[in-house]
Amino acid sequence: MIEAVRRLGGWAVRWLAGTAMLLTSYPPNRLTAQDSQYGIRGLGTPGRWESVRARSTGGAFGPFDPLSPLMEAQLADVGHITGGAMAGTSYRDVDAGGATASLRATRFPLLQLAGPLGARFALAGGFTTYLDRSWDVTIRDSTVLRGVNQPYTDELTSNGSVADLRLAAASRLSRRIALGAAVHVLVGSTRETAERRFDDTTYTLAQQTAEVRYDGVGVSGSALVGLAPGLTLAAWARSDSRLRAKVGEATTAETDLPRMAGGGLRFAPSPSVRLAAAVAWRSWSDAGAGAFDTWSWSAGAEVGGRAPIRFGVRGGQMPFGPGTTAPTEFAVAVGTGRAFSEGRALLDLGLERLERSGGGLKEHVWTVLVGMTIRP
Amino acid sequence: MSAVRTALLGAVLAAAAAAACVERMTAPGTCPAYCPSHRDTVLDVLLDTGILRDSAFRGYVLANQSAVMLAADLPGLVDSRAIFRFSAVGQRFPIKLNDTTTGAILAGDSARLTFFITRRDTVAHDLTVRLYRLPITIDTTTTFADLAGQFTDSVRTVNLDSLMAKANGKDTATGDSIGVDTTNHRLFVSLKLDSSQARYVFADSGKVAYGLRVSADSLASVALGKGDLSPLLRWYIVVDSLDTAVKRPDSTMTGPSARGTPVATFVFAPPAPALDSTLAVGGVPSARSILRVAFPRGIRDSGQIIRGTLILVPAVAARGVPADSFVIEAHTVFADFGAKSPIVFDVTRTDTTVIHVDSTDTIQIEITNLLKFWQTDTTLATTIVLKAKYEAQALPEIRFYPSAAAAYRPAVRITYVPRFPFGKP
Repeated sequence: MIEAVRRLGGWAVRWLAGTAMLLTSYPPNRLTAQDSQYGIRGLGTPGRWESVRARSTGGAFGPFDPLSPLMEAQLADVGHITGGAMAGTSYRDVDAGGATASLRATRFPLLQLAGPLGARFALAGGFTTYLDRSWDVTIRDSTVLRGVNQPYTDELTSNGSVADLRLAAASRLSRRIALGAAVHVLVGSTRETAERRFDDTTYTLAQQTAEVRYDGVGVSGSALVGLAPGLTLAAWARSDSRLRAKVGEATTAETDLPRMAGGGLRFAPSPSVRLAAAVAWRSWSDAGAGAFDTWSWSAGAEVGGRAPIRFGVRGGQMPFGPGTTAPTEFAVAVGTGRAFSEGRALLDLGLERLERSGGGLKEHVWTVLVGMTIRP
Repeated sequence: MSAVRTALLGAVLAAAAAAACVERMTAPGTCPAYCPSHRDTVLDVLLDTGILRDSAFRGYVLANQSAVMLAADLPGLVDSRAIFRFSAVGQRFPIKLNDTTTGAILAGDSARLTFFITRRDTVAHDLTVRLYRLPITIDTTTTFADLAGQFTDSVRTVNLDSLMAKANGKDTATGDSIGVDTTNHRLFVSLKLDSSQARYVFADSGKVAYGLRVSADSLASVALGKGDLSPLLRWYIVVDSLDTAVKRPDSTMTGPSARGTPVATFVFAPPAPALDSTLAVGGVPSARSILRVAFPRGIRDSGQIIRGTLILVPAVAARGVPADSFVIEAHTVFADFGAKSPIVFDVTRTDTTVIHVDSTDTIQIEITNLLKFWQTDTTLATTIVLKAKYEAQALPEIRFYPSAAAAYRPAVRITYVPRFPFGKP
């Protein structure tokens, strides 16, 4: 990295490289995505496998963006060694039956490194958030102990996530067809605490802590097909095994993970205008009671060259919820980017407004996204 | 233009970084829909057969080892008297200030006796102290019976309530005074003794002994200070100075005339009743009870104890006056050697309760600290020692039913939280 900075020169590249190094030095259990109350009773909140560029278009460019780990086939066009990372800060208002809370969290959900291998192949590796399991819930309740009603406060917390470590390969078979495949290792941990504090201090604080470790594996494949000049079709599929939870050496749970499939269409009527749409299906109901299969869709555009303007919308369903139907979500996003040092460094910014509802709960989220890409 | 846009981007990034510095994750739970599937479970169990092999022992702290001297007049209960002996003055005494020249002591002129009353019942009225001259042969083995005929020669009788009622607590006629220390809740009594009350006996080098009894309209029970608060006797003596009799110390010198008490103890009757199968705690000489707890392994190893209570049913109430209510402590031991088990004196692992006199209410001692301590080190003996917090500083003792009394046996009640099912969906 230092060598690359020397070669490229310029204060902007130095600043970006330094920031990227700081971001990537965080421990893996901090690499979590946006949280949601909907994930508390389920496995967690699924991550979004998109870079800031794709996220700013509502996710519509996810299947076509080399630094978005949704697919692999688009890596065939990466051209240079490229590294990218992103950070996001979310401001979330939760309204649950009149009880409101304002929450804030900062996450570092993505790091990818990709580059060509010979003339026809490309490799990529990195991680992204598969499931976020960070939450902190306080509950007021009471129980009868020794014949007396005793009010208490419970605080249950989970801090951590399950990361998706991916090794992907892609090849452009012809000008019109590119294929890709990847293996995924799911790994992560959460530090969980359960605390009960009675109002009557005769009863002392009960506080228990444990570290829960998770593991699992998965495979995925994808294809890009050029239908016509400027018109590209993407398709992908993924299957994960099961998520095993362990406390110490004891396996406490094994949960089936979903199969997934999706596709997208990109249309570039001119070099400075790009349009895309995408759709995905995930069989989250495999995870058990309280989980639902989900559909999600997105549409967006990118306009401009050196500092493009991006915007998009997305919608769909959340996999976990208390009712008989899946909660829904809808988001709009805008963003831009700026290239430095002849395009060897890129800074992307995005802003997303997300609303989730279902099961008597509403969430309103503002998320500020910052992404950095280095092409030495 | 490029620089402006770059600066703008930098400002946005800086603002985002500043806003992201603090996480706020805590939200009120909306249960059960948006709460974790599992919550803490609280269990409460009564281990009514959890106390085994309990017994009582006496003799840990004797009357002369007590930090106070007890004087009480409780007809039908106890008659206790403080006895103390002052050290000798010698046969010669300094004549001048800062001069080693001494003169022979010719006689005693007078003396001032001071002592502290560290505990009394403020409900008692007409609290009166009576001072008796005792033989100087008293020592720590002296018994109440040994002095049966000695408490007849009363040298002073002072009504402390009347003395307190006087201006500034001083009796200008007798020279007596009394001070009330409201901070430490004790009385400082100063009595002037004339030459007949404080007799300087040349053969004894001025060594004198006194006994002190108390009386009141009721509830006559006090504790007199020892150690730093021990009685003092300040002599005023007549000394031969070149064939001239002078009184020392006087206004020209403050001589080393104060004498302390090498012997300060108390005697009482009747003596504490002999131990039986009950669990005695307190009294003089002090009694302790030892209880072995059958601590369930399931709770000890995996439960988180949030409250533990030792339940004891009095078989014999503590007898005395309200001011004699005392605190008992539950300690654990480093090792269980029966009566000689070394106690763990650690305030964070000691639990206490107050024993009120004349009460037969069931006693509950919170022993959460002890149970948690046993959880941290499973090699420790699960033995509890019950003792008075201030041993031999109050005459009453309490007796609890032992484990042999099936209907009233000691029991332990434990409230605990089992292991949380972490990692389960």
